[in-house]
Amino acid sequence: MRRALAVGAIVLAGCSTASLSGAETPDALPTIDGSGIHSLLAAADRPAVVNVWASWCLPCRSEAPLLAAANRKFEDEVAFIGIAVQDDEDRALEFIAEFGLDFDHYFDRNRAVPAELGGIGVPITYFVGADGMVVNTHSGIIDERTLALMLDELTG
Amino acid sequence: MEFTLLASALTGVAMMWGVLRITNHAADFDRLVGVAAVGLVSGRLVAMVAAGVNPLVHPIDVLVVRGGVDTVGAAAGALAFLAWSVRGNRVRLDDLAPAAVAGMAGWHGGCVWRNACLGAAGEVPWGWALSGSSTVRHPVELYAAGLMALGAIALVRLPVGWGVRATLAVALVAGARLITEPLRPSLGGGTGWWYAGAMAAALVAAGYLTVRHMRMGPTTSSSTA
Repeated sequence: MRRALAVGAIVLAGCSTASLSGAETPDALPTIDGSGIHSLLAAADRPAVVNVWASWCLPCRSEAPLLAAANRKFEDEVAFIGIAVQDDEDRALEFIAEFGLDFDHYFDRNRAVPAELGGIGVPITYFVGADGMVVNTHSGIIDERTLALMLDELTG
Repeated sequence: MEFTLLASALTGVAMMWGVLRITNHAADFDRLVGVAAVGLVSGRLVAMVAAGVNPLVHPIDVLVVRGGVDTVGAAAGALAFLAWSVRGNRVRLDDLAPAAVAGMAGWHGGCVWRNACLGAAGEVPWGWALSGSSTVRHPVELYAAGLMALGAIALVRLPVGWGVRATLAVALVAGARLITEPLRPSLGGGTGWWYAGAMAAALVAAGYLTVRHMRMGPTTSSSTA
């Protein structure tokens, strides 16, 4: 039993937590406010997923690999947008690099975007139609099934 | 705290408890809850590792079940713990099998508490649409729950020799997931091959055990109804 635990610990210790992709990480994050998000969504020519996150947020860490995978699969059909709220910019950049979140991110220190679109806490994921209107809001950590279902709804 | 997820889990536990009572194996309730817990943790650990998150560096992430639980990892962990917990007493696996399948049915049926029953789009009269949408979808988790509930009933009533009921339970759960998997939108390639493999292996094992039982004479499980 002890031997099995030791082997398990060694295997787990070998698991990488370094950057998951070779994507370029931005040097700085552009800031955004309440009106900015509407302009951004109106300019997009396709549905969008807007994920509000923070580097200090534990559930955000858990859902980040899922969002990275979803972006890789749907990037041609859906625009993924990350909004880092109430965060330290350097830590936010580290978070983006760590999980290979290879889509556009913005910095929103004062939570202007969630205040504009609705929803409390972090994370929040907004599903936005091609017309720029929010069709669904998911508060809290999102699981694969829900994300896949909502993406099917947006692209179907 | 994710209360709707908890409600789904409690639905599964309640159904498991009910079947254990019916089959006179209520004393095994703790064991099966332990199996479910070990399955959950092992599935979560596998999901974390697969996503590149080191459980040793971020141990608290294990608690964020919503972040993903790997089905194969969970099943392997649960089966391993179950086999370990009943070691040296092969008949007991058969006794627990109907309750375990009923628990799975309850977990899937618990989708109603968290509004997570829907799968692929399909114009079926019993389907419904997501809030704010007009696209009717299959209630795929209820399909799986129904199949597993029927399977649990069949297992309770099945007078078979030792080992057969347990292996058939694995085949039933894997089969129910395999049949319904195409109706579940997924970001990855899905786990259909794993379900097919598990079902095939379980059916082969059940066939082998049945033949062996017929040759060696009756050694029926104690919970035969």
